[in-house]
Amino acid sequence: MSRIGVFVCHCGENIARMVDVTRVAEETAKLPGVAVSVDYRYMCSDPGQNMIKEAIREHKLDGVVVAACSPQMHEPTFRAAVVEGGLNPYLCEMANIREHCSWVHTDKELATQKAIDLVRIMVEKVGKNQELFPIKVPVTKRALVIGGGIAGIQAALDIASGGHEVVLVEREPSIGGNMARLSETFPTLDCSQCILTPRMVEVDRDPRITLYTYAEVEEVGGFVGNFKVKIRQKAKSVIADLCNGCGDCWNKCPQKKIPSEFDAGLGYRTAIYVPFPQAVPNTPVIDRERCTKFLKDKCGICEKVCTLNAIDYTMEDEIIEVEVGAIVVATGYDLFSVGKDQPNEQWTGYGEYNYDAYPDVIDGIQFERLLSASGPTQGEIRRPSDGKEPKSVVFIACVGSRDPEKGLEYCSKICCMYIAKHAMLYKHKVHDGQPYVFYMDIRAGGKNYEEFVRRAIEEDGVLYIRGRVSKIYKDGEQLVVVGADTLSDSQVQVRADLVVLATAIVPHRDAYELAQKIGFGCGSQGFFSEAHPKLRPVETNTAGIYLAGACQAPKDIPDAVAQAGAAASKVQLLFSSDELEREPIIASVNEATCVHCRNCIRVCPYSAITDKEIKDKKGNLIKMVAEVNEGLCLGCGACVAACPSKSIQLAGFNDEQVFAEITALGSG
Amino acid sequence: MIEQIREKAKELLASGEVKVVIGYENGGLPETTRPVFITSPDEVDRLVWNKYCYANLATFLWRKEVSSLGKPAIVAKGCDVKAIVVLIQESQIKREDVVILGVTCTGVGDPPLSKCPICDVNTPREYDCLFGEEIPPKTDINKFADVDEFEKKSPEERWEFWEEQLSKCVKCYACRQVCPMCYCEICIADKNQPQWIETSSHTRGNYHWNLVRAWHLAGRCVDCLECERVCPVDIPLSLVNRRLAKSVKARFGYEPGYDTEAPPPFTDFKPQDPEEFIK
Repeated sequence: MSRIGVFVCHCGENIARMVDVTRVAEETAKLPGVAVSVDYRYMCSDPGQNMIKEAIREHKLDGVVVAACSPQMHEPTFRAAVVEGGLNPYLCEMANIREHCSWVHTDKELATQKAIDLVRIMVEKVGKNQELFPIKVPVTKRALVIGGGIAGIQAALDIASGGHEVVLVEREPSIGGNMARLSETFPTLDCSQCILTPRMVEVDRDPRITLYTYAEVEEVGGFVGNFKVKIRQKAKSVIADLCNGCGDCWNKCPQKKIPSEFDAGLGYRTAIYVPFPQAVPNTPVIDRERCTKFLKDKCGICEKVCTLNAIDYTMEDEIIEVEVGAIVVATGYDLFSVGKDQPNEQWTGYGEYNYDAYPDVIDGIQFERLLSASGPTQGEIRRPSDGKEPKSVVFIACVGSRDPEKGLEYCSKICCMYIAKHAMLYKHKVHDGQPYVFYMDIRAGGKNYEEFVRRAIEEDGVLYIRGRVSKIYKDGEQLVVVGADTLSDSQVQVRADLVVLATAIVPHRDAYELAQKIGFGCGSQGFFSEAHPKLRPVETNTAGIYLAGACQAPKDIPDAVAQAGAAASKVQLLFSSDELEREPIIASVNEATCVHCRNCIRVCPYSAITDKEIKDKKGNLIKMVAEVNEGLCLGCGACVAACPSKSIQLAGFNDEQVFAEITALGSG
Repeated sequence: MIEQIREKAKELLASGEVKVVIGYENGGLPETTRPVFITSPDEVDRLVWNKYCYANLATFLWRKEVSSLGKPAIVAKGCDVKAIVVLIQESQIKREDVVILGVTCTGVGDPPLSKCPICDVNTPREYDCLFGEEIPPKTDINKFADVDEFEKKSPEERWEFWEEQLSKCVKCYACRQVCPMCYCEICIADKNQPQWIETSSHTRGNYHWNLVRAWHLAGRCVDCLECERVCPVDIPLSLVNRRLAKSVKARFGYEPGYDTEAPPPFTDFKPQDPEEFIK
């Protein structure tokens, strides 16, 4: 007969309000195999845990059931207490009488009966529990950082500073991300590139960082401490080891009218190009979809002018395989599309703002490029249509953000600040110009942020109009912005030379695909999901994978950098020991009864199950079976459900245990 | 046609390409046949082919007693070939490890079995040699007419029907023994630690067994009708099997037995699969 201890928690009022905890303890004390059953106000408190430890010794318990909250919360607490009491941690089970009972019921009598049932089920299960021991796996002390924007750069630098190797993968030809495209940064107005490029150079110089630009993560396998990553290095058509970045090739390239992605279409680039002068690495790539050599097999000028013979038209994509122990995902953001064509059918765009039709309606990143000294106008404010200096500029906030009808319901967080910055910088460059801002609220929660906005309004004379814009139409050379001023309760019309739309921040267009590839979650808006919104904000639900920057939610630079630092410190924590302990809740195959139908192999989301040959002493094949890789299995149980002959068992949830639970429920 | 089959069997055995030919021979009674396992070229004249060749011989392909003889050739009707296709999909046999002697068939039994008028594989879809004139597949057939009809009954009527039918079950497991898909070495019904399925043949235990069997065949049953043919108490087993087949076809656009490369629907997923049921 088992000797099981039952410990019923009041959780203050949380459970005791709806469940008669004393009766639960009294009733479950009568169950066969229960040696002791008590209730206490806070079982997770020190005295509560001590009750468990003492009871284990005093009553020689061989199993413990804690009837309290969700195991998500306190299972580690009670398992640790049970260990201190002298038992294996897996001989402790929790009956969730809070989330599954007291919180969701309104009839105390019925809730109490249900709590008794829940405890009885767990008593039956724990009687069948076996001692389990953690699985030890080695750790590869090398990290992969995906995305070379400011968050990825910061994470890579911090991990490298900790003494570990880092592989940094960036899709574009240069690292720098969106921050490299910004002019100046709020609330200090220091030049974005001036503070970013030293970090980019550091990345390039650090011998512990291996940088792959113009590359994408193709495949991720493995598990925490032991990921196997395939990186596709797209063909640059330029041999990086030979190229010295002299620029002869891109200066001589005859294809000069390709809209520059970096300049958000306001400037041009060549077919062989570096995206911007401070690019890291300073090796150009050939855009094969635009290059005459690749399209028509003509030209070849870059090859001719390159004195170092660094051009190689025959270069092919290369797959690079690396093993890493941790992954930091820092893929950043895109801007909400304001055109008529929307990537998401729920979005209707903002056709009334005529972004597609009027060249002088631009978005925030385009205005950044107009402001930037490295931009298409060398920092002079010139409107795209005729190159004239705009004397009146209207900035419209929340285009796409906070608008569930037409776009997204969330706040993009950074727009209020960058609009104030845009208006201020515009005024600094065009002294006789007038900036207007249409806004819903001004959200300036951050250090020195409110002061910054006040400065824009009070010192730089930016006119803030609280209300939405209903349409923009053309009148001669100017645009007429029609909107509401809800503070004076009137309609307003502003004649503008240029209109800037503060479009919403959306996850990177391939974010979902990447999350699927690596195996972690996305929220409903496509931003990557953190493991806990408050307590685990940089971890994902998949062990060993961390988040940094705007891929998790809209963020400004300080927040992105802070999160990147936090992710890097989590990585270093992981790398601080040579072995990891993993939960022993994994599947195993009964080879005697397995018939190798391969259902488990097909359903395993972690590719943890493979074919195994069973041979006799002479090496003759007797049969094929399935085999679980202990390191890869995360104990989801999908294989258990798919096995027709019940030849797979999940430790801690084996057939005997589950059957005991079901039987207990039926016999209540 | 039988002469050609015998000739081919002889050739295969004599050359050593196969070690056994699985086919039909005359049964002990008139108008019956039984499975035969020919291992010598001298015995091929025992093979017969006629409208009483009911058995789905695919079920012998994975049996140790047969597979231990060596590579087999098998005489197979279109419906039997569908079972072979599923066995290949589920890695019970490899395509290259079996020679399929496909026979065209206009129906077995006198009158033909209920599966025959709605058959669309009179010419097998997969074979190594084909015997008989090719018959183009029928197109305008509703395979689920009887299921549709049955579904018009109220839930109470259906419950009553099945309670009556399943109360007859004696748990002889003939349905399992004859089924080419029931290849588990130890069936879940025979496992007793824990005893998931009640062994006694009262109605509750009978429900348990027959429902588990139906679920295990969902998306896999090729409707060869062997279970129904061998059931000693005439339970209309194919009605429930084909009710599930109808759902699988409607939901996944999938019918088992036509494509050795198709992923079986219940063990296939894409990360992008809709998850409307998870809220």
